[in-house]
Amino acid sequence: MRRLWPYLKHQRPLLLCGVALALLINGAELLKPYILKVVIDDFLVAGKADDGLYSVAALGIGYLLCVILGAGMNIAQTIAVNRMGQDTVLRIRREVFGHIQKLSMRALEKYTTGRLITRATNDVEGLNELFTDVLVHVIQDGLMLLGIAGMMFFINWKLALVAFATLPAIAVCTLIVRGKIRRNFVFVKSLTSRINGFFAENISGMRLVQIFRREREKYREFDELNERYRKVARTQVRLNSFLMPLMEVINTFGIALLIFYGMNGIMGSTLQIGVLYAFTNYIRQFFAPINDIAEKYTTVQSAAVSCERVFELLDDTGGVEDLSAGAALPRPKGLVEFQNVWFAYQEGDWVLKDISFTIQPGRSVAFVGPTGAGKTTIINLLTRFYDIQQGVIKIDGRDIREFKREDLRKQVSVVLQDVFLFSGSITENIRLGDHDIGDGDVERALDLAGARDFVAQLPYGISAPVAERGGTFSAGERQLLSFARAIAHDPAVFVLDEATAHIDTETERQIQRSLSAISNNRTTIIIAHRLSTIRGCDCIYVMRKGRIREQGTHAELLSLDGIYARLYRMDSEKKGLKLPQSQNTLLPNYRT
Amino acid sequence: MGLLSGFIQKHGWRYIPGVVFLLISAYLQNLAPMYLGRVTDALREPEIDTRAVGELLALMMLTAAAVFAVRYTYRFFINGNGRNLEAYLRDKLFSHLQTMGPVFFHSHKTGDLMAYAVNDVNAVRQTFGPALALSVNAVSLTAIAVLNMAASVNGKLAAFALIPAPAVILVMLLLGGETRKRFKRVQEAFGAISDRVQENISGLRVIKAYVQESAESARFETLNHNARDANIKMARISAAMGPAVDLCFGISFTVSLLYGSSLVRGGSVSLGDFVAFNGYLALIVQPMRQVSRIINILSRGLASTKRLNAIIQTPAEIADRASVESRASGKKLNHAEIQIKNLCFSYPANHEKDAGNSEVKTDGAFQLRGVSVHIKPGGLLGILGRTGSGKTTLANLLARLYNPPDNTIFIDGTDANQLSLDELRAPMGYVPQDNFLFSASIEENIRFFDPRHTREEVEKAAERAAILKNIQDFPQGFDTQVGERGMSLSGGQKQRICIARALIKNPKLLILDDSLSAVDTRTEAEILDAVCAYKEKGASVVLIAHRISALSRCDEIVVLDKGEITERGTHEELLKRNGLYAAIANDQTKDGEE
Repeated sequence: MRRLWPYLKHQRPLLLCGVALALLINGAELLKPYILKVVIDDFLVAGKADDGLYSVAALGIGYLLCVILGAGMNIAQTIAVNRMGQDTVLRIRREVFGHIQKLSMRALEKYTTGRLITRATNDVEGLNELFTDVLVHVIQDGLMLLGIAGMMFFINWKLALVAFATLPAIAVCTLIVRGKIRRNFVFVKSLTSRINGFFAENISGMRLVQIFRREREKYREFDELNERYRKVARTQVRLNSFLMPLMEVINTFGIALLIFYGMNGIMGSTLQIGVLYAFTNYIRQFFAPINDIAEKYTTVQSAAVSCERVFELLDDTGGVEDLSAGAALPRPKGLVEFQNVWFAYQEGDWVLKDISFTIQPGRSVAFVGPTGAGKTTIINLLTRFYDIQQGVIKIDGRDIREFKREDLRKQVSVVLQDVFLFSGSITENIRLGDHDIGDGDVERALDLAGARDFVAQLPYGISAPVAERGGTFSAGERQLLSFARAIAHDPAVFVLDEATAHIDTETERQIQRSLSAISNNRTTIIIAHRLSTIRGCDCIYVMRKGRIREQGTHAELLSLDGIYARLYRMDSEKKGLKLPQSQNTLLPNYRT
Repeated sequence: MGLLSGFIQKHGWRYIPGVVFLLISAYLQNLAPMYLGRVTDALREPEIDTRAVGELLALMMLTAAAVFAVRYTYRFFINGNGRNLEAYLRDKLFSHLQTMGPVFFHSHKTGDLMAYAVNDVNAVRQTFGPALALSVNAVSLTAIAVLNMAASVNGKLAAFALIPAPAVILVMLLLGGETRKRFKRVQEAFGAISDRVQENISGLRVIKAYVQESAESARFETLNHNARDANIKMARISAAMGPAVDLCFGISFTVSLLYGSSLVRGGSVSLGDFVAFNGYLALIVQPMRQVSRIINILSRGLASTKRLNAIIQTPAEIADRASVESRASGKKLNHAEIQIKNLCFSYPANHEKDAGNSEVKTDGAFQLRGVSVHIKPGGLLGILGRTGSGKTTLANLLARLYNPPDNTIFIDGTDANQLSLDELRAPMGYVPQDNFLFSASIEENIRFFDPRHTREEVEKAAERAAILKNIQDFPQGFDTQVGERGMSLSGGQKQRICIARALIKNPKLLILDDSLSAVDTRTEAEILDAVCAYKEKGASVVLIAHRISALSRCDEIVVLDKGEITERGTHEELLKRNGLYAAIANDQTKDGEE
């Protein structure tokens, strides 16, 4: 919580304004019982006559003034403090969001999507509640406690000491119960997030649950979680029900004690009834802020947890990538070199072992090999999503670590295995934030990607809305859009990571034609399972268990009669292909 | 209301002791000002009877202790029941969503449904928990206090002092409406932020790949400012609420001070009664201050109850027919013979409208037109077709994710609509296009939470799906956690786990919807070998694929184009036809033309 202080310091004028107003409000509040005391002691008990301004009527008007001014300043104070809080939340939310944008892939793996979403939404919202619900009152309440204590000591310090005799009891009770509430609250919070996670996941996977008729099992699992939640939530209710009523008991005990002690003073005429009455009022006023704070305790607790989590994230600067550090990378020619590259996601578990290769500018190469061979990893390294442990990766002869990450990534476009579409329009999805890409460029990219036909059939063409994650498009259509996106961004190095898996062969042919059209002036790297898609490549690298085992053109690899040849033969044999004569123009390289 | 009836039957009784204790507490709380007044009068006596004062103080403390016990009890019953209700509603919502089909989930985003489960359930809980207690408390406490003021102190004083009270209610209602409006805007702003954040984080890889970090931050800033402005606007009005009430009561206290003191001076009211009167007045302030909050919670609770009710009343579009339910015993299906007769299908209207499903766009309504297929027991049907040609629709209909028209799909001679979902789906193995895994261990994902499958069966299924070695290579093997919080797997690994999940059921009908796309040719061959083993045992297989290498093994292959079957036959037959199939086959084997 202390971490919030620097943010508040930025808001000093508002903060000072809020404190000053709080002081004034408290002054008005403190005057009210005092006015009652004067009326009771001087006019009602002593029976003095009205004397100009020294009269019940004048005191009544004074009382009313306190009320009116108090109310007005109260409104002003709340607004001032709230504004301060909102500006702070705005800044924190901006920082959290910006921070998440800059997290490296490694850091992202550590945090998981769900946790990051919670940080940027619920946790920041928790801080928001802290400001709107709590901070507004805390300043005023805290000052009020001081003011009341001062006033009581000012009127009668002995009586004040008696009145505060109950304070230790309050402190002890509060500490004990609060501790329990806090411990239970941790359970409530973690179960809430588990329930929500479970719920969301099941909505996403509902179709599968239904097809597999696992509704009952999933329901039972949910019910169990829900039941556990119900138990801790009810414990929370019990603990909360205990604390506040208890405060009031102690409050009453304090008043009784006060009267009992004051009785002697009144008998000895050293104390007036009005003072006693004012004191009972002050005690009640004293308990109001305490109750108030007790009431907000849950909010404070949850905000404290949120606060901790938010700053834990913000403090983790190790996971942040600096996008703009390094040399500028103007459009490279596209010479890509890996020299003795070793890489592991987890220490010691080498995914790439001593990989070396050179891709000449403008050439197209392919990586093939079984799942888990390390093909996608090569792409991750080229865009510096991860940094390598040994060796060097160069573009145009310079270590990629010298360049700005943002420049590097702009020059290397990857069409990913998992397509992601944002809600918005098709144009927005292709252009992303790059406003240099005009509508004409978008159309051209769609055309090249083979997506023109299906986009044209949509109700609004390229302005057609895209639903959450592109849910209304088929997997193939999503891939075409993601392909168009990469084309539109006109990279120097173009990478297709298993990007044609869901596309029918006809469309794939089209993509390959356009690929050859756009790959004239750029380096192209393709990762594919379908050997048919990569035969035209200038060089094919066959990977296995993190090493390059074979390399060469399709024809060279076949004549090598190694892994590739075996894969290829199996591919054809399994098909049992016997093509009709009329179309048997195939495989010119086959017999080289 | 249908939503709450089950809860009221089970837990409703708890409200009765709750309210009883609440009323007792209201009565007891009203005793305190009376005692204070009596003490004041006792202290004014020239000779103070210390014993009497002591007794009064003891009574005061006793009452306070009793109030404590009673308040604790009613909160336990009423607020605690709110928690019961919360759990009940969430359970009910969850089990209802389990009966909803794809049409429903297309028009209700995950985030919206989560809002039901979190915000609405919470609003209803607050209404039937704390807000209920607060409102009963406010009414009873105020009523008793006013009665005391008028009866035991002075009727006229009470009447004058309470003149501003109706103004309190008026202010509450006036400000309340506006507050709700502004609060809604605050919530919308937060919702917009949540949606954006969720999408942004899910798509972070793409954002990073295209260096959109700062563009995204800039885009987010607009939402961020909206949220701040909405909150400040809300604060402006909510800031007025408390002070407005204080102002009204301040006037009441002033009246009491002016008129009350004149009555005391005139001797018609004792000082003690005057003190008691102020005490009663103070007692009312707190509940009155809460009125707006109560109204707020209640109105939100009612709206949420309606929303939840609407969701829960949404009928399941895919359910067992009445004729099926009334049938005495379940049919034992061999589930091997599938006949599709002249199937025409279009997605339900609201599906089209809400989701804007791109596959529905083509000229007419129909997604499938006149499709007829016959798969004999042990048959392997291959389906090839362009993106959006209706392949997945056909698979969806076989699993009855949508209702096919009557008398179009027959399974072992029975109309699929006349089978119960259990009968239809239990013998079915389905591998969807998008490979979804749950946050659980790999073993649980393959077994799919069916405790009847043993570890051996899980391993066997994994082996058939050509994923066993991979899994065994993981440090935690089958116990490896996957999904949201777990290890990230490659597309091919996920796909094969999904296949294992279908194979473990020993399905009589196996549907593979483009489920071999992310595996290499060799693995594809291994998996197809396993699939053929099932086929030999009499299972029917529907294989949707793009690769000829996979399709070539099929007994019959149909080529779908815009929802119609344009070619059909065996691999050899189709090659000879020189149609689309042959062209594609040619493409896939031929070298690049370049």
